[in-house]
Amino acid sequence: MCENCCNSDLTLMADVFSDMQKNGDNLITVLQKAQDIYGYLPTDVLYEIAAKTGNSPAKVMGVATFYTQFRLKKVGKYLILLCKGTACHVNGADSIEKAICEELGISDGDTTDDGLFSLKTVACLGCCSLSPVMMINEETYGSLTPSKTVEILREIKGREAK
Amino acid sequence: MRIVIGEGSCGIAAGAGKVHTALTEALRGTDASIGIAGCIGMCFLEPVVDIYDGKTLLKRLVKVSADDAGAIAKAVKNNDLSAVSYLEISEEDSVFLKKQTRIALRRCGLIDPESIDSYLEDGGYNALKKVLSGMSPEDVIEEIKTSGLAGRGGAGFPTWFKWNAARKSEGEEKYLICNADEGDPGAFMDRAVIESDPHALIEGMLIAAYAIGASKAFVYVRAEYPLAIIRLQKAINEATERGLLGDSILGTDFTCRLKIKAGAGAFVCGEETALIESLEGKRGMPRLKPPFPAEKGYENKPSNINNVETFANVSWIIENGGEAFSAMGTENSKGTKVFALTGKIKRGGLVEIPMGLTLREVIYDIGGGIRDNKEFKAVQLGGPSGGCIPKELLDTVIDYKALSATGAIMGSGGMVVMDEGTCMVNMARFFLDFTTKESCGKCVHCRIGTKRMFESLTRITEGNGKEGDIELLTELCEGIRSGALCGLGQTAPNPVLTTIKYFRNEYEAHIKEKKCPAGECAALRQFVIDPEKCKGCTLCSKKCPVGAISGSVKEAHIIDTSKCIKCGQCKEVCRFGAVEIR
Amino acid sequence: MSDTVKLIIDKKEITAEKGDTILLAAKKNGIEIPNLCYLKEMSPYGACGMCVVEAEGSPKLLRACSQKVSEGMVINTMGERALKARKIALELIMGDHKGDCIGPCSLNCPAHTDCQKYVKEIADGDYKSAVKTIKEVISLPASIGRVCPHPCETACRRQHVEEPVSIAYLKAFAADEVLKNGEHILPEVKAPSEKSVGIIGGGPAGLSAAFRLIQQGHAVTVYDKMPKMGGMLRYGIPEYRLPKKVLDTEIAEIESLGVKMINNCTIGKDITFEEIKEKHDAVLVANGAWKSSSIRCEGESLEGVFGGIDFLRAAALGEKPAIGRKTAIVGGGNTAMDACRTAVRLGAEEVSIIYRRTRDEMPAEDIEIEEAMEEGVIFRFLTNPAEILGCDGRVTGVKLQVMTLGEPDERGRRSPVPVEGEFITLELDSIIIAAGQKNDPAGFEMLETTKRGTILADERTFATSIPGVFAAGDTTNDGASIAIKAIAEANEAAKFIDAYLDGIEIPHKKPVISEREVTDDMFTEYEKHPRIKMPQRAPEDRRNDFTEINLGFTEENAREEATRCLSCGCHDYGHCKLIKYADEYCTDCKKLKGEYHKSFKEEKLEVILRDQGKCILCGLCVRACEDIAKQGILGLVGRGFDTVIKPEFRNIDIKSICADCKKCADVCPTGALKIL
Repeated sequence: MCENCCNSDLTLMADVFSDMQKNGDNLITVLQKAQDIYGYLPTDVLYEIAAKTGNSPAKVMGVATFYTQFRLKKVGKYLILLCKGTACHVNGADSIEKAICEELGISDGDTTDDGLFSLKTVACLGCCSLSPVMMINEETYGSLTPSKTVEILREIKGREAK
Repeated sequence: MRIVIGEGSCGIAAGAGKVHTALTEALRGTDASIGIAGCIGMCFLEPVVDIYDGKTLLKRLVKVSADDAGAIAKAVKNNDLSAVSYLEISEEDSVFLKKQTRIALRRCGLIDPESIDSYLEDGGYNALKKVLSGMSPEDVIEEIKTSGLAGRGGAGFPTWFKWNAARKSEGEEKYLICNADEGDPGAFMDRAVIESDPHALIEGMLIAAYAIGASKAFVYVRAEYPLAIIRLQKAINEATERGLLGDSILGTDFTCRLKIKAGAGAFVCGEETALIESLEGKRGMPRLKPPFPAEKGYENKPSNINNVETFANVSWIIENGGEAFSAMGTENSKGTKVFALTGKIKRGGLVEIPMGLTLREVIYDIGGGIRDNKEFKAVQLGGPSGGCIPKELLDTVIDYKALSATGAIMGSGGMVVMDEGTCMVNMARFFLDFTTKESCGKCVHCRIGTKRMFESLTRITEGNGKEGDIELLTELCEGIRSGALCGLGQTAPNPVLTTIKYFRNEYEAHIKEKKCPAGECAALRQFVIDPEKCKGCTLCSKKCPVGAISGSVKEAHIIDTSKCIKCGQCKEVCRFGAVEIR
Repeated sequence: MSDTVKLIIDKKEITAEKGDTILLAAKKNGIEIPNLCYLKEMSPYGACGMCVVEAEGSPKLLRACSQKVSEGMVINTMGERALKARKIALELIMGDHKGDCIGPCSLNCPAHTDCQKYVKEIADGDYKSAVKTIKEVISLPASIGRVCPHPCETACRRQHVEEPVSIAYLKAFAADEVLKNGEHILPEVKAPSEKSVGIIGGGPAGLSAAFRLIQQGHAVTVYDKMPKMGGMLRYGIPEYRLPKKVLDTEIAEIESLGVKMINNCTIGKDITFEEIKEKHDAVLVANGAWKSSSIRCEGESLEGVFGGIDFLRAAALGEKPAIGRKTAIVGGGNTAMDACRTAVRLGAEEVSIIYRRTRDEMPAEDIEIEEAMEEGVIFRFLTNPAEILGCDGRVTGVKLQVMTLGEPDERGRRSPVPVEGEFITLELDSIIIAAGQKNDPAGFEMLETTKRGTILADERTFATSIPGVFAAGDTTNDGASIAIKAIAEANEAAKFIDAYLDGIEIPHKKPVISEREVTDDMFTEYEKHPRIKMPQRAPEDRRNDFTEINLGFTEENAREEATRCLSCGCHDYGHCKLIKYADEYCTDCKKLKGEYHKSFKEEKLEVILRDQGKCILCGLCVRACEDIAKQGILGLVGRGFDTVIKPEFRNIDIKSICADCKKCADVCPTGALKIL
């Protein structure tokens, strides 16, 4: 069995499936709702979705791995979305990424060992005038420099340490 | 007095939400009301706060922070707005809006996007009423044909033609789809429209649905636009409540249901057949064309797909007539176009201009030219499918044909300005990195081809390029362009081809001299301290993580290039601009 | 409304059914449009980009698999743009194709012996088939298996796990097994062609050519100057490595096919080259390289100085050369090893090797060096003869210049340089110069030679400057090399001699194949299983006589060793659609190499072995599983470059859901899926 075959509470999906019956939600919508519930897509949930949507597990996996929004692993408490859009690129997003990676010891797509931070680079957050930009959970941070970025991360770390 | 805060995603990111909270607190007990608007498009001045008396704009305050709330409240209470004149938009910056012609964006930043009444007060849904009270579907298509409106998503295909094909396609059930999967990095026109004027999209879509005979419609919005989804859903709910959407619209027998489908993160879903696959809940891999969506689209039924900006123009055309629209623009490109002007530009934001303006007019007259007194180098149009246009071609007019002739494309509206510090090879590499990651992996040319281009460009920017690389890249580009399955793959070589075409010398410098003329490529750059400027403050040597900087206090410091890891921290901390990249 | 349309494909006017695709319409009219992801039974997919064609009036290429025919269409399937797009597609696929069409063992063998096949046959216990496979290339398997320096093993991928498979000894084992039972695996001989071939030299080259040509029905006569056939195998390789009895048996097998063998026949003395040419329709010169090279050192003409192969030959003839108590051998190659170990066996008390570099640079095989050391040979590295010392015309010793290794050159090779003024003197009774060997041009003056005095032969056809005369082996071009190279050349020469006799020409084309670039980390998944050592006689025992030192594998040993083979060569080679196109389009497989797509360990479904490295993501198996087999077990996972095809995600018992229909493997255009 794989690491993600935790014993998820599948009853949480009841509403999602009944909505699906009612509104004709497609597989992607069902997966999105499941991720909202569990924070990621556990394997047993994917199996349940396959069974309830009448898709083969292979197909469900195919969809879940195609879109960047879907996560098959738990993410950290703080999800850092670093914008790598054109404007951010031109204004130095690469140096921000380097700073984050060095500070946290992770690379794109990883989660820190303490489960505090996950880093994900994204195509464009659409805040081009504030570039370079990152978003930590719902908060947007703009006009970043490498040192400003490190400061922000350290502040969160400090807050969490208390 | 009415205080309106611009709360698009950009504004909120810049702190509009905090300003809103602070103003609400500060204005408590006064008779001034607080409202929100979408995005006026002046991203460089966010957060923006407008003060109205009824419908008259009294003052536009910019770069407002929560700390300014007290002063604003006091000025409002005292009825003396001159007290906050220091926050008022400057004459120079006002030019940004004055030089624009706004049709798709005409209500953006002016009305409350979360209130259908605000839209109705401004004459909203009049076009729909006009259509349903006497125009036949053919009349509508004819009007659109007269207008010369072309698809604003990038390809520029005549809108009437697509509508007509879908109308004529056999089948009881037809679908209308709005492509709001705005994935080009550096483009946010569609997001701004949905966040700022969602009913304009709904109205445009309803007219289109009526024209083609569709009773079901979808808006496919990218998942990264949560605010847009919330506002659009609210607009759908309100429009449905008012009988403007759903069954028997405005009491006629026209029925149309509209649903939002959130994308899940895949740039390729901007390609219409991939979008349809995704709508069906599948992997977003493009289908073979033919059959085209007009024949076999969503659920294999006739479907029509347009993008947000296209729909946002429709109600204006119906109200003002196709001729009024076609009066703007050039011979083969009619009306206006919205651009997201970003990069090293002084005044960045959303810009809507009539077709036929030159790039120079947009970048210099509206955008105010390059920031920090640097030299303009190139402008990138069309994102990963587009190309870089050099200084010599700045007088190119904005027109589908003229832009294509440069090797770039009109695209959906991303316009990223680059200065002398931008390396064009690295720029091409950036786009190929993007396309490689976003390639769906279905066809060989795109899946492996983009990867190989990216690898080759990476080698060049890292100083490992070799003679013949440019030729090999060009050959690869041509092969991918002719062999790839969908638009994403076919256009993926454009950033490479245009940079080779206009900046071949930069490629050659990387390959032959192992130098990056722009000083951007880390592997090829050298950090040096200008002894003239260095004051010997020692800050840089303290900051240097590898101890590569030496020098005594108050004497010019020196960087040992053999130790330097090119992290750039010295340059960042230097207060005298003494650290230079060569 | 008519149900047909008229169109033109490749200038041919065609009537096609409405609704047919261009690909189908073309096929019905005998025009094949290449494709890798298309199957008539399934809806078109559009992934491979191979079926693109040009249509008049269309700026874009059309995918013939999906584009329907229409009235008046003018299609060109072989237009320049289409060919270019296909070629790029193939270059891209091949640059990302992690597979070996042919095992590296076979590729690195000069004669391209199908090692993987016979090793598998040995693993299966089918020794006769193994010998048959070997004899497709090597006519003397028991002999060559014992003496070959096995380039196959040098290339063997198993070394990335631990050590290479013992391919050469397995070959000897299979041959011995068959011979032990008195069985002889002999090829069929065609009806007489009325043509005859004269072969000069009965060594590995001459015998191999004889073996090939006799099968073609030609009359073959081998002329050899020595008392018996076998050439260097007999007179250059000592008995303790290759017993003459083994060689005799194998030569007798060749003779039994009808080859006429004439010994004690020296060209220019017993018969002239002209006479042989007159007697036969074609001649192959394969007389080897029998002259020892000189080291241009003072004292080389003293009594007690032997040439390396002269010494070995004398020993083989039972002449017991007088080497005395103390002897030294100059050189670091296999001949030097054979010579020193022979000297030990002839009773010399002190045997030294004089070599100017260090052990690391020695060209001799490692095992030979080790065995020589075990047998008491003294290795004097970094020494070089400055002068052979003598008294009364007889060797008394050698003055050795001490050497050191200089700075590495461009290729990283460090040449030895003398340490000025440092010399050692060694007392000796004899010295053997094993520093290379040369051919003897006497009797062949009419043939054009190379600068180094070897016979000039065409590198592909082995034709010499005289029509009808071919040359192969040590006597040609680059001179002396290993036996298997001589065999390889002789086999090729035989092919061209046969064609020459039939009056046909063999077109020149090297087939395009896929070769994997590997690193150790790709092999971490394999369980380690060390190479089985060849059992040997103890050094103190074996150094006293010429009896074979290797005792041979037991059957159990051999079969176990054979199972270590990783079967690198692709099972699908010969049927693979991809490589067929790659070959047709002369694809440069390395042009667009880069990072390979990710691939995981082969996963076994019940009956199917999957190799993702060879997968080209045509999607046929996924679609076959879903649409034809109605199972839906396979699916695409991930996106972009690293998309893979996997069975469903939880490691549940796949057997219980796979219908075992094998449809997926049937439709695979490459060797990515294999039915077990």
